[in-house]
Amino acid sequence: MYRPTEILIERGEENAPVVQRALTKLPELPVRIVEKDWEQKETRPADSDPFGTGKRRLFFTRQRARFLEHCPAGTPGLVCCNYLVVSLISNCPMDCSYCFLQEYLANNPTLKVFTNSDDLLDEVAQVVDRQPWRQFRIGTGELSDSLALDTLLGFSADLVPFFAARKNVLLELKTKSDGIDHLLGLESHGRVVVSWSLTPPAIADTEEHGTAPFTERLRAARRVQQAGYKIGFHFDPLIEYPNWETDYRQALEQVFATVDPRGVAWVSFGSLRLTPSLRKVVRQRFPQTRLLSGEQVLCDDGKWRTFQALRVKMYRSLISQLNSLAPTVPVYMCMETAPVWQKVFGRAPGCDKDVARSLTEPNLSYGSAPQWDR
Amino acid sequence: MATRDEPAWQIAAYAQRKRLSDTTLARWRAWPATDQAALFSLLQDLQCGENHLKDLLDWLEEIVARDEQTVAAILEQRELRSARATSGSRHDKLKAVKAVLRKLRYPRLTRLEENVRRAVKALDLGRTSQVAFPPDFEGDEVTVTLTVRNVHELRDILSQLQRRLDDGRFQRVFEALDEV
Repeated sequence: MYRPTEILIERGEENAPVVQRALTKLPELPVRIVEKDWEQKETRPADSDPFGTGKRRLFFTRQRARFLEHCPAGTPGLVCCNYLVVSLISNCPMDCSYCFLQEYLANNPTLKVFTNSDDLLDEVAQVVDRQPWRQFRIGTGELSDSLALDTLLGFSADLVPFFAARKNVLLELKTKSDGIDHLLGLESHGRVVVSWSLTPPAIADTEEHGTAPFTERLRAARRVQQAGYKIGFHFDPLIEYPNWETDYRQALEQVFATVDPRGVAWVSFGSLRLTPSLRKVVRQRFPQTRLLSGEQVLCDDGKWRTFQALRVKMYRSLISQLNSLAPTVPVYMCMETAPVWQKVFGRAPGCDKDVARSLTEPNLSYGSAPQWDR
Repeated sequence: MATRDEPAWQIAAYAQRKRLSDTTLARWRAWPATDQAALFSLLQDLQCGENHLKDLLDWLEEIVARDEQTVAAILEQRELRSARATSGSRHDKLKAVKAVLRKLRYPRLTRLEENVRRAVKALDLGRTSQVAFPPDFEGDEVTVTLTVRNVHELRDILSQLQRRLDDGRFQRVFEALDEV
């Protein structure tokens, strides 16, 4: 369980419901009332791991920028799935060695919780209620794990009923935790997908620090599914290492031996991608990592990935396995080029909306007819 | 205090001579003593500076993590010893050593490169046609460049290309791009 070293509260936010909930659950921690720009003004003492230290300070503050954003994976040159993200938390109590937040939040690593969740819901309502003909997918797992702090903060108790009441939007809660008990009593009306990011145990145990073990994630997935939620799985990052094929195929087998494929909203695959500066951070923070030892090359978007022919082989192997285990489950790839889609599925999406529709209209799924498998 | 014969002193002296950054030196020194010494021995031959050394550190650390070997054991491999023994300038030695290390670090990519190179060579197109690929084979575009001075040369080269299409040698090039 995550235990911060101290709690910081922006002046004026002391009575926000999420602050009160956290203070009740962590009564013994030191609390400081600070100004909103406290983090920028702080004189930082010498610290060999400021990112790790930042995670252990819990700062409640208002979000003054927009909550709703387009997923940053929509990079020019890559096929995008038209996903939207909202962040109620910035930074993550877990500490995966490959996490992009190590670079993205390097200058403001304090774990921030935004106190104005009502503003988020208003913002989402304004966008989705005005376009009832359009199907939206919105996730909270971009700048943090969606559920890792939820037993402490209780955001899902507001989010799930809000999204459950809307027919044209799916909320995705993306996690590596097993803390789902508080979700079981909430009614999702099929509008909430709880999804797990998965790597085989050999990777999860060594590279995903502070996360629930693989089998516990699957157990949590089954329980959530039995409670009426849709579920999803993300094999992202897909990591190439000497035993990747056996391990990932076994992981897929375990997934579909545990959950009912009919209730799986989607499965995604995405090759490990690291910017050059993130590689440096990973090397420094996790010197024992095996992540950097794959056959990765620098791609046009400035990120290192497993070289194309090998990652196509990886995608084909695992999507073929997925098709045999769960042929009706929609599948997509994250942050991949059109040529890779072409080689894996035998067709590349004409536009971003094609991928999004394939996930909400299963008969359009890309996973249903890969030509290389026929 | 370290004496001039001790590896620590020798490594520090090398770092000073090559103006290595503190970070690079710290990485090297974080290795087990036998690995530090093995790399120092190699660098006696190669005399490389910061950038090449960083490549060597990256690749060696990545091979160690993947194969659970020591740097000393990697550098003792026959192919690497042969590369070190290459006659010629230090630059030639460095090139040969880096080529072998890159092959150890990227075994499947270098095999793919070699297969594609062989498939292109088998086209036997001569100097008038060149076949090029995107960097590290990312993407799906193969560029064929024809250089001609008149219509006759163009006709000759096009018919040669047609023959290569008919006999499957072009097909082989495209197949090689996907083989791992």
